[in-house]
Amino acid sequence: MPVKGSPKNRKRALILALSVPALFAVSAMLGPSGVGLPDTATVSGRAILDLRLGRFFMGMLVGAALSTSGTVFQAILRNPLAEPYVLGVSGGAGLGAAMSILIGGAFLGAVGLPLTAFAFALLTLLAVYAIANQGGVPSVYSLILSGVIVSAICSSVIMFLVSTADIEGMHTVVWWMLGNLQPSSWSEQIVSLFIIAAASGALWLFAPALNVLTLGREMAHYQGLDAGFVTISSLLLSTLLAATAVSMGGMIGFVGLIVPHVMRAIFGPDHRWLIPASAIGGGAFLVLCDALARTLMAPLEIPVGVVTALAGGPFFLIVLRKKMKYAWID
Amino acid sequence: MPGSTDRLKPALAFRGVTAGYKARTVLREVDFEIAEGEFVSLIGPNGSGKSTMLKTATGLLKPLEGRVEVFGREVSTLKPRERASLIGVVPQKLESPMAFTVGEIVMIGRSVRGRWGGPDAADYDSAERAMIYTNVLDLKDRLFNQLSAGEQQRAALAMALAQEPRIIMLDESIAHLDINHSQEVLRILMNINREQKITVLLVSHDLNLAAQIADRLMLVDKGRLVSNGSPGEVMQEELLRRVYDCDLRVRRDPFSGNPVVSGVLDAALRRPSAQKRLHVISGGGSGIELFRRLLIEGFDVTAGVLNRLDSDSEAARALDIPCVLEQPFSPIGGEALSQARRMVEAADGVVAGLVPFGPGNLVNLDLAIAAQQAGKPVWLAAGIGSRDYTPGKAAAAKAQQLIDGGAAEWSSIHELMAQVEETWPQQQTQQ
Repeated sequence: MPVKGSPKNRKRALILALSVPALFAVSAMLGPSGVGLPDTATVSGRAILDLRLGRFFMGMLVGAALSTSGTVFQAILRNPLAEPYVLGVSGGAGLGAAMSILIGGAFLGAVGLPLTAFAFALLTLLAVYAIANQGGVPSVYSLILSGVIVSAICSSVIMFLVSTADIEGMHTVVWWMLGNLQPSSWSEQIVSLFIIAAASGALWLFAPALNVLTLGREMAHYQGLDAGFVTISSLLLSTLLAATAVSMGGMIGFVGLIVPHVMRAIFGPDHRWLIPASAIGGGAFLVLCDALARTLMAPLEIPVGVVTALAGGPFFLIVLRKKMKYAWID
Repeated sequence: MPGSTDRLKPALAFRGVTAGYKARTVLREVDFEIAEGEFVSLIGPNGSGKSTMLKTATGLLKPLEGRVEVFGREVSTLKPRERASLIGVVPQKLESPMAFTVGEIVMIGRSVRGRWGGPDAADYDSAERAMIYTNVLDLKDRLFNQLSAGEQQRAALAMALAQEPRIIMLDESIAHLDINHSQEVLRILMNINREQKITVLLVSHDLNLAAQIADRLMLVDKGRLVSNGSPGEVMQEELLRRVYDCDLRVRRDPFSGNPVVSGVLDAALRRPSAQKRLHVISGGGSGIELFRRLLIEGFDVTAGVLNRLDSDSEAARALDIPCVLEQPFSPIGGEALSQARRMVEAADGVVAGLVPFGPGNLVNLDLAIAAQQAGKPVWLAAGIGSRDYTPGKAAAAKAQQLIDGGAAEWSSIHELMAQVEETWPQQQTQQ
């Protein structure tokens, strides 16, 4: 659609795509055990490399999921502040995941954790929508307000669960909640990869519809869009993305908020560019943050959620002041 | 969608439509038809159901009872894309929170038609045509949100046109624009309507604008269609007064012959009667402000003699002021003069405005002299000498005679009002 912007966007997309192998290399060389490629001749070296590459894979997946989900929430709710965390979706997913970890959802196998997380995230989204809905279409402000409230309730329930859990469960949940990309089992990763690829791909197919939806639901109807169908399915898909990300990496904030904004400032508001760019950009950003988290205080490891928040917050403010006005008006 | 819709059927038809929201029925048993190529304007007071009617017509709102048909097919049975290819809507205000350019916004009008693969050459052509038509091609690369209201409205119209619809509906999209912008959008609409035979349904709360442009007006009140016909048929004083629940007046525009509505503000502002009647001598527009002010202060006002085409006579008529009129460009003659004498006899005082005097209206000053001789106060606008075009400065002489007889001179309406209050102090107690 961008008559003029396309060639520029192609160049930018190429740069973005090239950053992935570069980060792959960086990721392989950084870790709490020291800088540099581990010696693959030794068993421990191979194990370290495996671990590092596993984290790269996790980072790409979780970052892509969070960022894509944020992009879509922002488009549908027509609000720059919309994000899985703000809307309480991540909180709900976190509650589901914590219950699954503590009480045990393992009987469902690899699908159990993401599924429980998704079910709870969905319930949270419905609750948020129901609270915000006072007849007609709920306003964005009431949505976000009730999102924050529901989110707070979810975290208190998690706190309650943690405080009553045994010491091992408590450790697992707290560590997981801080956000970390310790690779889970292979089967879990494969299932998550499948879910994230499918949901992001489906959302990409909705890209032209999302462009229209930014003009509002009524306008979208006049433009020949089944606005209800598109809204509900993309909300479901982005909730699924957020829930999967949370079940994999715990509570990692800011990715779903910053990355879509930065990508919108670079690529413009057309979702056909924005969705893949956000996915790659989100993954790259999280991998970078994780590499920092592993090395900054080596051999100690900082939870990656702390890094994303510390790096993301100020960065977000700078970008907000400088370039955001071209991406979001108001 | 050729073939699937019947061109002989009305472009839009409401058949016994009752519609509304959960707790509130807004439209009641609305029936009408709009033929293809018609330019119809939907008018009515705020909250009468105009917007609901538009939402029902576009299938956004399902009727509780009755049918809405577009080219003979029930609108709810149309596929979304098919519906968008028949009906384009220009909203009150198009808002995008994101930084789309005008070109991208207009292409949105095409993008929903096409598949995901992106627009093809035909789509670009159509969008460009729409932008040329609405004169926004120069703005193609500008950000939509940074345009002026008028430019945004034209871009929104271009987006709707890019859909290549058979009907265009506009929801109060023009009324809040400046007159130059609203006229431009209206011209574009008339062109589209005439050249491309696109049916236009314009929802408007501006009665005059609607009457100026539409072939047919539909007046909605409290959810019912109360009148449906040509502007002349619908714009009836009695009907509009009842629907809008206020005093208003319908006249014919002297140039176009269109009915023109104006409110009567002064009636509402009027103070309690001062029990005094003033006769005003004016002309050439000098009386308008005088009439208005005297009415507000609670006086009964009469006027004359005025020429029939004088702007003061129009104002007097609009303000319901009894007024003696003479044929245009004729000297004031017997019948009118004696009528004016009777008026002055019934008045408690005479005010002369900043009117130039010539041989034709000089007799008006005689009226003032007669009033003075009857012991009534006279107020003269100062400086008659400079407005005296009579041979031998007859008007100035008569003015001097009035002043010698005790007439007060005033140089501003404010001063005049102070003088009048001084003469009739009981005014004060009444306020």
